[in-house]
Amino acid sequence: MSNPVPLTTDHPGQVASATPPAPGRSRRLSDRGLAVAFISPALLLLLAMSVFPLLWALYLSFTDYSATRGGPAHFVWFENYTAILTSAQVHLRALTTLIYVVGAVALQTVLGFAIAYLISRRTHGRGLLTTLFLVPMMLSQVVVGLFWKFMLDAQFGVINSMLGSLGLGQVEWLTRQRTALISLIVVDTWQWTPFIMLIALAGLTAVPKYLYEAASIDRASEWFRFRTITLPLVWPLLLIAVLFRAIEAFRLFDLVYILTSGGPGVSTETLSFHVYKVAFLGFNTGTASAYGILMVLVVIVLTQLYLRYLNKLKED
Amino acid sequence: MAAMLVATTMAACGQDDGATSAPKAPATIPELTKDPLTLSFIWFDWPPAHALEAFANAEYTKVRSNVTIKVNTVPNANWHDAMFTQFAAHKTDFDIPILDSQHIGEAVTNGNILDITDFVKKNIDVKAYNPYLLAAYGQYPQAETGKRDENASLYGLPLLGDTWTMIYRKDLIGDKPPQTWDEMISVAQKCQADNPGVSGLAFHQANGSDAAAVTYNTVNAVYGGNLWDSKTRKIDGVINDAAGQEAMDVLVNKMKPLTAAGSGNWFIDEVNAAVAQGKACIAFNWIAASGGLLDPKQSTLGTTREEILDKLGFATLPSQKTNLVPLGGMGMHVSAYSPAANQAEALNFMKWFEQADIQKKWAAAGGVPSRTDALESPEFLNAGPFNQVYADSVSRMRDMWNVPEYARLVDIENTNVNAALNGAKTPKDALNDIAKEQQGVLDSGSRKGGGGL
Repeated sequence: MSNPVPLTTDHPGQVASATPPAPGRSRRLSDRGLAVAFISPALLLLLAMSVFPLLWALYLSFTDYSATRGGPAHFVWFENYTAILTSAQVHLRALTTLIYVVGAVALQTVLGFAIAYLISRRTHGRGLLTTLFLVPMMLSQVVVGLFWKFMLDAQFGVINSMLGSLGLGQVEWLTRQRTALISLIVVDTWQWTPFIMLIALAGLTAVPKYLYEAASIDRASEWFRFRTITLPLVWPLLLIAVLFRAIEAFRLFDLVYILTSGGPGVSTETLSFHVYKVAFLGFNTGTASAYGILMVLVVIVLTQLYLRYLNKLKED
Repeated sequence: MAAMLVATTMAACGQDDGATSAPKAPATIPELTKDPLTLSFIWFDWPPAHALEAFANAEYTKVRSNVTIKVNTVPNANWHDAMFTQFAAHKTDFDIPILDSQHIGEAVTNGNILDITDFVKKNIDVKAYNPYLLAAYGQYPQAETGKRDENASLYGLPLLGDTWTMIYRKDLIGDKPPQTWDEMISVAQKCQADNPGVSGLAFHQANGSDAAAVTYNTVNAVYGGNLWDSKTRKIDGVINDAAGQEAMDVLVNKMKPLTAAGSGNWFIDEVNAAVAQGKACIAFNWIAASGGLLDPKQSTLGTTREEILDKLGFATLPSQKTNLVPLGGMGMHVSAYSPAANQAEALNFMKWFEQADIQKKWAAAGGVPSRTDALESPEFLNAGPFNQVYADSVSRMRDMWNVPEYARLVDIENTNVNAALNGAKTPKDALNDIAKEQQGVLDSGSRKGGGGL
């Protein structure tokens, strides 16, 4: 039997355990080997399901390959990328996506922070309120899309029924150019405001109470306390929540698919929805791969810029 | 993005073979297995799919007791994707894909389904069919409207015939249906004015599947337009000629104002719901999807089938400059990637299904057969009030384009017609955009990069 290996500890003063290795452990398997054995299934899965397809998509993005037409893939180099970047169709979808992302994330941030601020000021029932507000976030986007589709139906929907009882006219929520995009923003806001609220609430509860007490002694107004204590301390955390939401909103597909199918016309077609059409209607796999890679690049670049701003904010 | 990565991974797996034409099925059905076997279909989720599964399990198992029939269904909007993503992977969990007639070109060109020409010659009585019906659900290259090219290859056999029926409220507009399209519009106009809360018309307008496109194509045909010149592959200048412009004008400026507010995303179910709830004077829908209208549990028009039929009438589409109607329905095909035993069973099923007595039983079970003798049989004509409409429409049918680029062509038409119907584009701009974009798709064969945008 080999000597027991002393286990290291990060905490000074803690006595290392002298427990011998488990009886079944092979003598030939070193710690490194054991580590590799444990992580290799996950690593292989990651390589097979994420890294390989991503690299394959990168390769296909430089070709004219079609998944259904078969045959060899011919290199077209950057022609797919050039076509996408110069396409008026893509520019239109990019603008739609931008309006959607800015509208939805801004609305969610304002509402999420406001709700979190109000909840943080309560002493009773805070947990129950937080849980109730989180319910929409726990639902599947497809389910959310389907029941909002019924609610927003111009003929039979509950929203128009309520508007009617208030003496207001019918609104064609999902079939008019202006209201369709607004409807998507509203539904996404309904579902994802709780996410911003949750992060903001975590930030608000972490603000040291003594700062408020000191401000009270100085007879600072409520607005002054909010502007100089609450907001600056919660802001970095809120920005991270905004980053997550912006990335999610940029990839929006499910709600568009269920609620509007991109209509009327293509007025609510987002970039993700357009990629889906390129990939699966015409099976232009090469173009769709380049489109997807470009979207990933946009997210990476914007995220880097954003993170730099966040770091600068922390340093300041 | 995740879906695309999956597709590209599938593409990686299926890239080596390079097949570009359909493999041939044997002329004679190979020996069938005696082991338990599940014969799987794929279709979209609608009543005929459930009727087919029940019918086939009840009847086919009488001759093949070891076989179970499973009709897998997907939402209509996913139907094309569900089949062709599996074709792309060169591995299918179905043996018999039920393709829309327009999907045949894509499937044949990619080698996804079997060429059954020799099998049909030896096993099917082709003279028992209206030649165009046989061609529409199986022939590629596409047949000229109303004809069949006997030298062309066949890749499928009819499963379910279909076309649009005009559904009208006898209690509101009278027993006699309008005979011309213009008359239909004026009758709907009057009915809407006389009956507050009831809209004059209800029809497909959604931008998913082929909803809005079929509506425009129908009006285009009735007003003497054409979708394309198939010989020269010309769309620009054909679909948007004077007849095409008139059809779009009629659809957007005369028909759309007679529909319910917010109906711009209606498809089969929504139109049926409007009729069943008494909210439409005249509606257009596929015959195969109209059975539910006679169910008192789903209708406010009566407590019995007879009461409903006192109020609802079914008629062939009104004519105008032509009497053309849209060809609907689907054919059965054999997946090129099914195991040999399943392919043999699929061929046997097709031979069994196309027999005269089975076609009549299928008609009685709610199906729409394609054999002439079954179409003229009392089993079919008495099975539903709309079946006579189908029988009368067979000689009037016109299909869309059956080319490998179909999915993109129909998407372009759907989105633009939907945009025009919902005020996002003027009718003229929408039609010109359809012509320009569709022509771009047909002409993009030699393009190297950026295909599909």
